[in-house]
Amino acid sequence: MITLLPFEHELAHLYKELDEKKSGAEREQIKKQIEIKLEKIYKNLTPYEIVEIARHPNRPQTVDYIKEILSDFVEIKGDRILGDDRAIIAGIGRFKGLSVTVIGSNKGHTTLERLKNNSGMIGPSGFRKIARAVDMASNTFKTPILTFVDTPGARVSSETEKEGSVAAFAEPVKAFLKASVPVLSVVIGEGGSLGALSLLVSDRILMLRYSYLSVISPEVGASVLFKDRSMKKEVASALKITSRDLLNLNIINGTIDEPFTGAHRNPELTIETVREALHKEFETLLKETPRDLMKRRAEKFKKFQI
Amino acid sequence: MAFFKRKNRIYVPVITEEVAKEILIRCNSCGRLIKYQDLKKNLNVCPYCGHHFRMSIRDRINLLTDAGTFEPINEDLEPLDVLNFYDGTYYKNQLAKAKRETGLKSAVITGKAKVDGINVAIGAFSFEFIGGSLGFTVGDKLVKLFNHAKKNQLPIIIKFSSGGERIQEGVYSMLQIVRVIQAVSEFKEDGGLFISILTNPVYGGASAIGMLGHFVLAEKDTMIGLTSPKVTELAFGMSFSKELQSAEKLLENGFLDMVLERKELKEVVSKILKIYTNRSLI
Repeated sequence: MITLLPFEHELAHLYKELDEKKSGAEREQIKKQIEIKLEKIYKNLTPYEIVEIARHPNRPQTVDYIKEILSDFVEIKGDRILGDDRAIIAGIGRFKGLSVTVIGSNKGHTTLERLKNNSGMIGPSGFRKIARAVDMASNTFKTPILTFVDTPGARVSSETEKEGSVAAFAEPVKAFLKASVPVLSVVIGEGGSLGALSLLVSDRILMLRYSYLSVISPEVGASVLFKDRSMKKEVASALKITSRDLLNLNIINGTIDEPFTGAHRNPELTIETVREALHKEFETLLKETPRDLMKRRAEKFKKFQI
Repeated sequence: MAFFKRKNRIYVPVITEEVAKEILIRCNSCGRLIKYQDLKKNLNVCPYCGHHFRMSIRDRINLLTDAGTFEPINEDLEPLDVLNFYDGTYYKNQLAKAKRETGLKSAVITGKAKVDGINVAIGAFSFEFIGGSLGFTVGDKLVKLFNHAKKNQLPIIIKFSSGGERIQEGVYSMLQIVRVIQAVSEFKEDGGLFISILTNPVYGGASAIGMLGHFVLAEKDTMIGLTSPKVTELAFGMSFSKELQSAEKLLENGFLDMVLERKELKEVVSKILKIYTNRSLI
């Protein structure tokens, strides 16, 4: 059975019935009932519910996209200074006959993976690994860079403080600003604070329909602003973190549709849609000279004014 | 006397002289009572244990620059409430209150000044203005200051103290970090000298920007990190030894050049500036 999100719990008994029923006709009937109810729920999602969808464990992650849309993927590991941050996966590969460099958050589907990858929360080695991949793409391979953002935020632990997150954070930002190749970013799930920002200094930013991008997670925002964690829903609405809000604010360039009832219900279709969207974006991006792109990227961030 | 009970509000308020004689302040660190006047005279540093209290932004500018030489730039830039943000209070009202209480228009002041006769561009964060948080206007003023310094070939000094991003401005606040890092990079590539002074506390984007200084000096008793222990605990329900974010530890781990007492700051800055401005260009 699929993991249900808190706002879908009224469907729990239907899914249970579905598991118990054997005959095809009965199953079809229940399936129809579920569909109708889902339709109703997903029609009026609140921003916080979108955050919950963005965190769904079955949502396709960077590794899934890499597996499905890239051929000949070769991973790079390590920051060549301290170690390898598993929260970031980076490498080179072929996308529809085009050589590309891919950098993305590596969340992990299982508990074990999440532990190993720190749930995609980036530390100092991760920041430096991003910078390393960007430099390689810009100086050596001259390939476009594709970033997948799906992180709850930057990591904080005794190691990250010792190894200097503060000093490492600027590295990817500087590398992206200097990169003389096209850079395309997609927020595929969570876009949490500085962790996400380190992958978003790009020419074009796209967001999946049910993803979010925020300066602080709604829960922590609620604790800081209201001193009350239960205000997370209000904070999620106030912060304007959904793809639609950010498109209206002109912070992102476009949204990518995903299945109406969430990417986790149909990962294959989601990945296919993303592949098509990326293909289209690359077609326009590649028409421009790298020098123009770099200049315009610099201008774009200079102009992030209100 | 609620003021004395609130442990985390440790800045010293502006008080008239008659009242000042009577006021005693308890040191957060050693717990001893200090006469307000003694504390003021000692640059807001506890005369008994050397604990560094916060300092008002004007005292800070006076401490670092030659008397009467500070001229503000872009003084009138004010924060805007683009998101119409409400968190129990309207951000608009919060801004109005901060402006009233601090007499400032945003959380950073920028300008030109002289340090021991040397012309510099200088910026200083005010923690009293919504936690010195980095929002659109703070970012904008810093970018403009770096551009001004680049154009006029001035060394730049920034005094940081910031609680993190201005949450009330949403994603816009985050994007300012990129803008400022970009301006700093262009300034540095042009050969400019950037001296960064970290004073308690420096969190979030401000810490990342502060680390870009050619010299990174921290005042004693400064906490520095990308995320504060408080937020870490709220976010992950776990905490780590706070000591790891102390200036002393960062010095040990190779991220700072010096941890200084407040009274030593100007002297060190001035020394660096003298060597820089008197260099013979090869």
